[in-house]
Amino acid sequence: MCVGSGSFRRRDFLERNGLPRGNPDRIVESTDQDLLRRMLAGDEEAFTALYRRRQGAVYRFAMQMTGSVVIAEDVTQEVFLALIETGGRYDAARGALASFLFGIARNLVLRRIDRETVAEIEEEPVCEDDVLGELTRRETIEQVRRAVLSLPPVYREAVVLCDLQDLSYQDAAEALHCPVGTVRSRLNRGRAMLAQKLGARVGEGVA
Amino acid sequence: MNPDILTALRALGDADRVAEASPDVERKLRGAFRRKQRARIWKRAAVWSAAVAAALVAMIAAYERQHEPKQIAQPVRHVAVEAVEAPVLSVSPMPVRKAARPRRREMVTEFFPLLDGAPPVDRGELLRVRLPASAMRAVGLPVPEDRLADPVQADVLISEDGLATAIRFVKTSQ
Repeated sequence: MCVGSGSFRRRDFLERNGLPRGNPDRIVESTDQDLLRRMLAGDEEAFTALYRRRQGAVYRFAMQMTGSVVIAEDVTQEVFLALIETGGRYDAARGALASFLFGIARNLVLRRIDRETVAEIEEEPVCEDDVLGELTRRETIEQVRRAVLSLPPVYREAVVLCDLQDLSYQDAAEALHCPVGTVRSRLNRGRAMLAQKLGARVGEGVA
Repeated sequence: MNPDILTALRALGDADRVAEASPDVERKLRGAFRRKQRARIWKRAAVWSAAVAAALVAMIAAYERQHEPKQIAQPVRHVAVEAVEAPVLSVSPMPVRKAARPRRREMVTEFFPLLDGAPPVDRGELLRVRLPASAMRAVGLPVPEDRLADPVQADVLISEDGLATAIRFVKTSQ
């Protein structure tokens, strides 16, 4: 797979941007809760490690919910600002930290989703080999993306969390503040709506 | 479930799997984190400073309380009167003179008002006091110069609200 330079591509923070490399990466084995505890005690390394571990998922969730990389960046920043300000309110007994972060992101996304849902997703550069196949594949993916974005938010968030972010039903339920059964039913309904929207196109170029 | 939909979603998920926020977000967040920590440190320092200052003030106050000279109770000068055994009588109604009946044979003056424009007293108490004779001169009674310091007895009429409203002088017959 070709690696481009668009905002969808993984960037090496450490090499490209001169961010501190050693310390935050040494504590990757710590649990989220350990990192949060240390972060709340004022440990910047712990905060950085936690951010690097969780920001991608938060960013992708916001992007897949809104179709906007700009909103996704804003939401990611606001989620972790909220963690800095009110991280002490997180209760591990009520769910994983990731679900807690998705919950914050979800609230922020829903606030903005009606105001500015304009897809600004950048096109990635295409590799020179198998241009046609890559274009076909990408076109199909973009069709799926548009179909997901056209879902009502309650179904969209279930599809994004469970099918695109690979969260368990339980984690998704914690993030969405609803029972697991509700997540299941919303997910089934969302998938059915997607199948209806995409029709025969699905399965042609995405294997 | 429709396998095509799941395949399509998986492809979309895979395509986005490497997407993440730009490094600027991390920079801004680290800056915000540092500012928050600085603010926290200042806040904590301010709280500690306030606590230490309060403790110092309390210590200084306690020290001064322990070392301040003890004041000896002294008679108030302007109350150069000495209460003597006197009947406390109910003064009701006016004129007061009728109510104040001396137990011994006494000659009394009329009451001289001590408060300008004070209303007449219906109820009150008489307080027998001893004053220098100069007090008589203060209300206009003649006193020889060489006897100004002699003690004389007087009845002070105290109204219900505690004000000394009038005074009369008493001469007890021996």
